[in-house]
Amino acid sequence: MLRFVGKRLWNGSLTLFALVTLTFFVMRLAPGGPFSRNRKISPEVQANIEAAFHLDEPIWQQFGRFVWGLLHLDLGPSTRFRDYSVGDIIASGLPYSLTIGAWAVLLAAFVGIALGIAGAMRRNGFTDYAAGTVGVIGIAIPIFVIGPVLQVIFAVKLQWLPVGSWNDGWRSLVLPVVVLALPNIAYISRLTRASMIETMRENYVRTAVAKGIGPTRTLMGHTLEGALIPVIAYLGPATAAIITGSILIETIFALPGIGRHFVDAALNRDYPLVMGITLLYGALLILFNIVTDLIRAWIDPRLRNAH
Amino acid sequence: MTAETLLSLRGLTVRFRLPHGETVAVDGIDLDLAAGEVLGIVGESGSGKSQVLYSLMGLLAANGRAGGQALFEGVDLLSLSRRQLDTLRGQHISMIFQDPMTSLNPYRRVGDQIAEGLIVHEGLSRSAAQAEAVRMLDRVRIPDASNRARRFPHEFSGGMRQRVMIAMALLTRPKLLLADEPTTALDVTIQAQVLDLMAELARETGTAIILVTHDLGVVARLCGRVAVLYGGRVMEEAGAQALFSTPAHPYTRGLLDAMPRLEQALTPRLGTIPGTPRSGGGDVIGCPFAPRCTERIARCTTERPAFLERSHLGGTRSAACHLIPEVAE
Repeated sequence: MLRFVGKRLWNGSLTLFALVTLTFFVMRLAPGGPFSRNRKISPEVQANIEAAFHLDEPIWQQFGRFVWGLLHLDLGPSTRFRDYSVGDIIASGLPYSLTIGAWAVLLAAFVGIALGIAGAMRRNGFTDYAAGTVGVIGIAIPIFVIGPVLQVIFAVKLQWLPVGSWNDGWRSLVLPVVVLALPNIAYISRLTRASMIETMRENYVRTAVAKGIGPTRTLMGHTLEGALIPVIAYLGPATAAIITGSILIETIFALPGIGRHFVDAALNRDYPLVMGITLLYGALLILFNIVTDLIRAWIDPRLRNAH
Repeated sequence: MTAETLLSLRGLTVRFRLPHGETVAVDGIDLDLAAGEVLGIVGESGSGKSQVLYSLMGLLAANGRAGGQALFEGVDLLSLSRRQLDTLRGQHISMIFQDPMTSLNPYRRVGDQIAEGLIVHEGLSRSAAQAEAVRMLDRVRIPDASNRARRFPHEFSGGMRQRVMIAMALLTRPKLLLADEPTTALDVTIQAQVLDLMAELARETGTAIILVTHDLGVVARLCGRVAVLYGGRVMEEAGAQALFSTPAHPYTRGLLDAMPRLEQALTPRLGTIPGTPRSGGGDVIGCPFAPRCTERIARCTTERPAFLERSHLGGTRSAACHLIPEVAE
């Protein structure tokens, strides 16, 4: 178990290093740079600024500097937000994204799995069709439509919840969490339903039914374990994506998370910030994949010896 | 129905609704089973033999419907709700399935799976049920049973898994054991071993067995009585000895001719039954075997032969065939 985790962490670090290396060079191949703007500045000033950020050095030297910083947990200063280091920016935005994302993942997992089970148990019944409808709506209507619609209903008309911002405690959380969870509820419920229906056809579930242990015990003790494995495999990477923020959610609800930095940093050629956020997302993705594998091995004994 | 009759099937039918109509898998079967008796049901693939067992256990596919009566100690199994059926199945009626590789839950310890029935049906504590499970594993000759009970199914061979299934099925000392081709998926070398073990333990607990198989050798080995199924109907039913020595129905004769025998090892070819087995389809007016029967007469395709007792043929024997006289001539 410990050896497995250790090995996966080591492999994960190698993957992460390959990821940042690739990002580092690809980003620099793209035209433009942090300080190439339409605004005319004298060549001397331009050169000074670039020298301050070591952009005048050969690229391999810049890369060495970046890796050296990385080993000291220093991601360097942002080229866009003067006086802020990349670490500061991530540390200030991440808690918001993390809070909203974690609640959204929990909500999506609980509601999605419950709807999926209910649909599979009473196939073609009311719950199944209701869940199917929610699923289609959740997948088909984009966040930037559902978000404002819910804002109009619950914030503007009913005035139960704030339109946006982070100043109202848990009430600020409700709308962004629900909107972020909705497409995932839709996807997870479809996935759970399909997986449940497939598992219910398994011979070992038939054995359980033949034992006369009743529907609840059959579901909880036999059908569910196998049926949830694909759902868990989806939840791992999805969690990494959700908790690192969404530019749409943060823009719609005016939240100070890090999701918008993902896009802004790339557009502004804020090299250090792009590297920092890529590193964060990559690390979380690898981490949650390891967690997923651990949960799957915990459920399925056949996977335990394979590692 | 005599006092000791355990199971009595009367006009049992199983029908499946399909997009393009209905298919009849079991077409009116009458069979009786006494307590402790071993009855073999033989037939080709698609003869409906497995569906008979599934209908008794409430395990038919969602589009399947069972009709007629299946009286277990006087209670019609087909009329029970799922909840009522759950008080019988797994406790008084158990089932062993064809494929032991997939019939055990891969995610749960073997001991837990065996013990589960006792916990639910007899209210035993987890540890008491576990102890019973280990004792039962020992009786099906799983070596080192107490350690093995803590293992997972993938750590067992096919033969061992089927012995686990037997342990699970017989743990509650059921009155009836339904065995659906229990050794078909196993290695030939251990088939007899597993069957003998099943029969031996069933004898000890006084459990009656319905053994569904297409292997006539298995029937000869274990069964007191045999019912031969074709096209969802019983063609002939008799004591195993009588059936093998003097088969009355043309289909039974064809089936026996197709079986290799040691004393005929030099015969160049095995007998075959011409045509292809009937499988599914709608209602049949005459005898389902008529299209393949070499002794067919005109009545066979127009009139359904009644399944009648023909005691003049020796022993207790019933058959459904126009060619067999109803009384001694």
